[in-house]
Amino acid sequence: MAELITVAVVDDDRMLLDGMCHWLGQVPELRVTAVAATVTGLLEGAADGSAADPAAVVLLDLVLRDDSSPADNIRRLRAIGSRVLVISTVPDRDRILAALAAGADGYLTKDNDLPTLVAAIRQIAVEGSAHSPELAFACAHDDRPDRPRLAPRELQVLLDYAAGLTLKATARRAGITPNTAKDYLDRVKAKYQRIGRPTYTKTDLACRVREDGLDPGRAPR
Amino acid sequence: MDVRWQLSHDSGLQRARSFLILATGLYRASHLTGGLLAVAEHERSRAGAWAILGAAMACSVLAFGRALRDGAFDDRLVWLDVLVSGCLLPFATVDWSPAGMTQGQAAWVLLLGGSASAMAAVSGSGRQACGAVALLMAVHLSWHQLVSTGAAVPTGDLEALVYSAVLARVFWWYLRRQGRMLDAATGRALAAEAEQARYAERLDHHRALHDTVLATLTVIAAGGVDANAAPLRERCARDAAYVRRLIQRGAEPTGCPEIGAALEQAVRSAEQLGLTVTTQYRALPELPTQVAVSLAAAASEALTNVLRHAGTRRALLTATGAADGIRITIADQGVGFDPDRTPPGFGLRRSVQARLHEAGGQAAVDSAPGEGTCVELRWPS
Repeated sequence: MAELITVAVVDDDRMLLDGMCHWLGQVPELRVTAVAATVTGLLEGAADGSAADPAAVVLLDLVLRDDSSPADNIRRLRAIGSRVLVISTVPDRDRILAALAAGADGYLTKDNDLPTLVAAIRQIAVEGSAHSPELAFACAHDDRPDRPRLAPRELQVLLDYAAGLTLKATARRAGITPNTAKDYLDRVKAKYQRIGRPTYTKTDLACRVREDGLDPGRAPR
Repeated sequence: MDVRWQLSHDSGLQRARSFLILATGLYRASHLTGGLLAVAEHERSRAGAWAILGAAMACSVLAFGRALRDGAFDDRLVWLDVLVSGCLLPFATVDWSPAGMTQGQAAWVLLLGGSASAMAAVSGSGRQACGAVALLMAVHLSWHQLVSTGAAVPTGDLEALVYSAVLARVFWWYLRRQGRMLDAATGRALAAEAEQARYAERLDHHRALHDTVLATLTVIAAGGVDANAAPLRERCARDAAYVRRLIQRGAEPTGCPEIGAALEQAVRSAEQLGLTVTTQYRALPELPTQVAVSLAAAASEALTNVLRHAGTRRALLTATGAADGIRITIADQGVGFDPDRTPPGFGLRRSVQARLHEAGGQAAVDSAPGEGTCVELRWPS
C-alpha cells in the first residue's frame, strides 16, 4: 500500500468540514489530522501540540469568511511546509490565478467526485503539483494585460486539457507523448507562479479590494 | 443579428429617402415623356432634337440609377444633371439662325429644369439646393432674354423652378422627421422587447429554482426523508450544479445570450437522465436563433452519447466565444472508441450534423480507445 498521506481541511462551513472528513475517512491511504475554520485556527492547533506535524496536504477553501486573503492563507500554509490544494464552490478566474501565483499546488471545484479529489491529493503529495481542467481553464482564458506569455503549443495543450480531455488524448492531438504534455502543463503553472512573485503586492491588493465587499454577491466559497 | 441588419437597411429615414427618389424620378419621367411626345410630333426628322432628348435621358438614368442602387442621391451626379439638363440643353434648342425657333418646341426642355431643381432640393444641404435653384433661375432668365419670348412666360418658368424645389424640400423635411420618429419608436420597441426577453428568462430561472433547489430543500427541511439516500443526494448534486451554472452565466460580462439558455436546456435534460455535467463558459456571443438551436441540439446529442457509450457519468461542457463565433466541446474521460471503426450510434447522428452544417457550423468527433471522447462544435465552421 502507498504511504499514508496526512491531510488537513480548512473550511468555514461546518457541514462541509464534517462531510469532507467522513468522505476522506473512507480512503485508506489518507488520514485527516486536523480541521479548522480558518488558517489561523489550523496554525494555532499545530502550535499547541494537538497535531504533531503539519499535514502534507491542506485542502483550503478559496475564500474564507474571516476576511483573510487567499494569497496570505496559501503563503502561511506553504511556510510551515504543507502543500496546498485550493477548493471552491464556483470557479472564479481572478481568484484562482491569484491563488496560483501565491503558491497553490492545485485547484479543484467542490463538485468533483471522491476519486478525483483523492487523485489530486495524491499527486500533490507525491509530485508536488496537481493539474485540473478548471485550473487550466482559468489560465487558458486569462485576459489580464500582465498575463504570462504562453507558446502556441503550450496554449493548445492547455486548451485541450481545460476542455476535459484526458492527458493521453491531449498529448495525441498535439502529437506528443503524455509526459511531454504534462511537462507543458507544469511549465505553464511555473510561469504563473513566477509572475506571482514580482506582482505579489499588486495581486494581493486586487484581492483585498475584491474582498472588501465591492460585490459580495459574487464571492464564491 | 438578422433583425438589426434589416432595420439598418429599412429604417424610417431610409424609407423617406427612397420615397423621394421615386417621387422626383416620376417627376423627371413625366418631363421626359412630354419631351418624347413633343419631339415625335414636331421634330421627328431633326437629329439635333433627338440628341437633346438622348442627353437628358442619359443624365437622368445616371443620376436616378445610382440613387436607386445606393439608396441616396450622389451629389455630383445631381449637379451634373442640373448643369446639363437644366443649363446646357435649353441653349442647345436655340436655333442660332436668324429665323429662330418657335417657343412651343423648346418648352419641354425648360421643364427639365424643374425636376433638376427638385432633385437638388432633396439631395444636398440647404445651401447647395439654394445655389442650384439660383443658378437654374439665372440661366433660364438669360435663355429667355436670348430668345426674347415676352414677359409672361419667364415668370411661369421661374415659378416652376422655385416651387419644384420648395415642394420637394418640404416633403423631404416632413418625411425625414417622420422617419426619424419612426426609427426612435422602433428603437424603443426593440429595447422593450429585449427587456421582456430578460424578464422572461428571469421568470424561467425562478421557476427552475422553484422546481429544483427550493423543492429539494423544502423536502429535506420537512424531515421524514433519509437525507443520505442516494436518490436524494443525486438530486441535490443536480440542483447544486444548476445553481453553479446560473452563477457562472450570470458572472459573464456578456450577460445571458440565447446560446447560454439553449445549452442550459441541453445540460438539464442530460442531467435528468443521470449524467453529471460540469460547464465552463467564457464570453458567450449573441448568435442567430437558428444557430443557437442547432448547436444546442448537437451538444444535447453529444451528452446523451456520453451516457450511452462512454461508461462514465461525468462530462465537461465548455463553451467559449471567439472572433464572431463560438467553440463548444463536450468531453468525457470514458472508454473512448476507435473512430476508424465507428460502430453505428457513435458520433453525432447525420440529421444533427446536417442541421448544424446548414446553420453554417460543423462538428468533429475525436476519440481513441481508453482515451475518452471529445466532440467539438464550431460556428462558423
